[in-house]
Amino acid sequence: MSDELDEIQAIFFEECAEGLTTAEQGLSAMQGGDVSAEVIAGVFRAVHSIKGGAGAFGHADLTAFAHKFENVLDEVRGGKIPPSPGVVKVMLSAFDILTDHVESAKGLAPRPADEAALAALEQVLANKGADDGAPVASAPAPAAPVVAEAPAAPAAEEADEYGFLPMAVSLDDFDAPAEAPAAADAAWIVTFKPSRAALANAGEPLLIIRELETLGAEIVAVDTGTVPSLRDLDPEDAYFTWTLRVPGEVTEGDINDCFDFVAPDSVVEVRRDETPAPAAAPVAEAPAADTGADEFGFVPVSAPIEDFAAEMQRVVETIAAASPPVGSVETPAIAPKAGGDAAQQTIRVDLGKLDLLLNLVGELVIRNSILADRLSPADRQRVELPELARLTRQIQDNVMSLRAQPIKQAFSRVPRMLRDLSVETGKTINLETYGETTEVDKGVIEKIGDPLTHMIRNAADHGLESAEERIAAGKDPAGTIKLSAEQRGARIFVRVQDNGRGINRERVKAKAIEKGIISPDAVLSNEEIDQLICAPGFSTAETISNISGRGVGMDVVRSNVEALGGRVEIHSVPGEGTTFTMILPLTLAILDGMIVRLAGQRFVLPLAHVLETVQPEAGQVKRTSPDSEVIDMRGEYVPVKRATEIFGLNDDRAVEDSLVVIVESEAHGKVGLVVDTIDDRREVVIKSLDQNLHPIRGLGGATILGDGSIALILDIEALVASTNRYTPKGMAA
Amino acid sequence: MTDTNDNAGTDRKIVTFSLAQQTFGIDMRALIEIREWDEPTPLPNVPGFIKGVTNLRGNVIPVVGLAERLGWEPSVIHARSCVLVVNIAGKQAGFLVDEVNDIVAIGETEIQPAPEVETIEPSVIAGLVRIATRQKDGTRDEKGTMVLLLDLDALSLTKHLDLAA
Repeated sequence: MSDELDEIQAIFFEECAEGLTTAEQGLSAMQGGDVSAEVIAGVFRAVHSIKGGAGAFGHADLTAFAHKFENVLDEVRGGKIPPSPGVVKVMLSAFDILTDHVESAKGLAPRPADEAALAALEQVLANKGADDGAPVASAPAPAAPVVAEAPAAPAAEEADEYGFLPMAVSLDDFDAPAEAPAAADAAWIVTFKPSRAALANAGEPLLIIRELETLGAEIVAVDTGTVPSLRDLDPEDAYFTWTLRVPGEVTEGDINDCFDFVAPDSVVEVRRDETPAPAAAPVAEAPAADTGADEFGFVPVSAPIEDFAAEMQRVVETIAAASPPVGSVETPAIAPKAGGDAAQQTIRVDLGKLDLLLNLVGELVIRNSILADRLSPADRQRVELPELARLTRQIQDNVMSLRAQPIKQAFSRVPRMLRDLSVETGKTINLETYGETTEVDKGVIEKIGDPLTHMIRNAADHGLESAEERIAAGKDPAGTIKLSAEQRGARIFVRVQDNGRGINRERVKAKAIEKGIISPDAVLSNEEIDQLICAPGFSTAETISNISGRGVGMDVVRSNVEALGGRVEIHSVPGEGTTFTMILPLTLAILDGMIVRLAGQRFVLPLAHVLETVQPEAGQVKRTSPDSEVIDMRGEYVPVKRATEIFGLNDDRAVEDSLVVIVESEAHGKVGLVVDTIDDRREVVIKSLDQNLHPIRGLGGATILGDGSIALILDIEALVASTNRYTPKGMAA
Repeated sequence: MTDTNDNAGTDRKIVTFSLAQQTFGIDMRALIEIREWDEPTPLPNVPGFIKGVTNLRGNVIPVVGLAERLGWEPSVIHARSCVLVVNIAGKQAGFLVDEVNDIVAIGETEIQPAPEVETIEPSVIAGLVRIATRQKDGTRDEKGTMVLLLDLDALSLTKHLDLAA
């Protein structure tokens, strides 16, 4: 049982992670000014589900904190607390603490200090988000009129409709007259008939009953009438119907929370045991028609119990987003996504096994093409071989996709880090992220976390100036850090770009000399000076700060990235900012390529870049200078590069005897590449050169052809970017 | 260590090979395999001593002209030329040598330091050791030969990347 529970709990934590991601996205959107009802409801739902699950698993601290957070969100959702920047900020900090609480519940971290965040949430609740911090909370009785008059608060009727139950202690200032003792005493009668398939869907009814019992519930009756005879009994099915009595002080919302994770076809009924005393005047006047639409809403106690119960049942059963007449609120569509489904959909696999599978498939692909090469042309056309090739490809695609994960996973911790850094440094920092969906091998994602952290810290601490400095330099006082990822051929480029002061090369050089990293008379290019900040033991921070400045940061970045077979490039413009680029290999990937010859040697040209191929006629290629040529493509002059020249290969072939492949590069547009011939078109397995050597500019890797020989894969971007004959550069290699 | 007939203090096995009329040795533990010479695929933009890359059971490994790397005249390829595939700090590389000679056991204490040489880079010679060479008839020539023991870590192909540090 405990194993099963652990499994279900693992699913809960996965859902927590999803919920936290959703919440963070929503909160970030709110911070960016998007305070639409959808966004707010999304955050609310996420926090609410976390709370529900946490309650079911007995994570009291997490539940308590999530509950408080949810209260605030509910008020914001109901329009009673305006989502002002101040309130959003409080919620973001609360989100961070919530994240910590989840970690703590997993047992990975100590219980976070949440007092400050709780107090801040309390403050927001008490002040209704009013920034002046008027002491409304301390005077419960007059609270309602004050709120009604506050310009930011919505109309009073609305407040009533979505307000709390009379017995809700925390917000009793809303309807003080309803503190009629009779209402508080009415106990709840809860009927729960789990769906037949509840057990199969991991919807263990016992957990729900236990959860209700923590609220003070007692089992009144168990209907065993539906239990079939032993012969027909399926032990995997649920047959019982429970009737429980829950003390009246418990809010209906809390009861319903217990049923958050039941299967959709379960029957749940929640009703009052006796007719409560009529509520006080202001409450009764509320437009009561659609109260059922809000699970946490105030239910007019004067309404007939039958209506109410029927309404509640409808809500709990359908859990659909009924659109309420008051437009700003959406029913929390707590999707009854039973944990059991997720359990059946995912399976944990040791990465090592995937690696092995991936290598084997790579070999399979190569053997496949060797086989194809050995067969006679007639045999090659037979149906079996193409079929085999197709299947092999599919297997490979699938195995590859098993390991590929969106880089979002690595980026997700950055927003929080920047919030912390922002507090520590006192700088306002905006974050922009691009290419989050770029898929990267899981191993790479796991290993770029630390380098990314250091790069972000470095950018926030050293790169960006203080607000005063920025204003003095005529810049926006808020600094911006851009985080982006993109795939180019066999490489992933991850960039951290700040718009700060840039690298102070004079100081870097002076410091490097002082630290004995370079000799005083060394003559270094700008790029070489920039690279110095990655040297071990180098740090230019005037004072050693908590964030960076221990002189290990960039050194760690470089060594981690190199351990992955990648490299770090630094580009800095004084006064405009610095860009750090991690260029990482895809450990193994396939590429649709064109096998071309350059000076007789075979190379692979990635097909993704190829636009067209032409056989130049006499005079179609013209020189524009002794070193540069263009080709006339139907009136458009496209620059022509000779890869043989760039690579320093001997080639005296006339251009008319060659082919020009027009490629499209991201940075330089259309470029013609001169090749001898085109041999073939095929899918190739990318083998990294970095694994046993080091990256070579102009090459994206190598591949093994059908005959076992090696062909080098051209890196189009790097090729067209090189202006002339390429000079090997040791330092930036 | 099982070879108790040899000198006391035997604790290393080395592979000896000839290159530019000298006898060199590398630690047996670093050796992965010995292959026949097969023309590798040349690489652009690499130092001249990197002859190219070759396919070692699905792995792309660089092939180094060891003679050039050590500053001798480039090897002339002949029938007995072969490639020693070694593991240097987790990376594989092939070294082109003129001829593989023998596997011999040596004692740590027998290794003498190589003389200091004025070079830009740290010495790749870890030490000198005298070994008895095996004759055609199986007996050992007691006069012996000097073996230059190579420091493989210093021969790492990615070493120069660290110089920027």
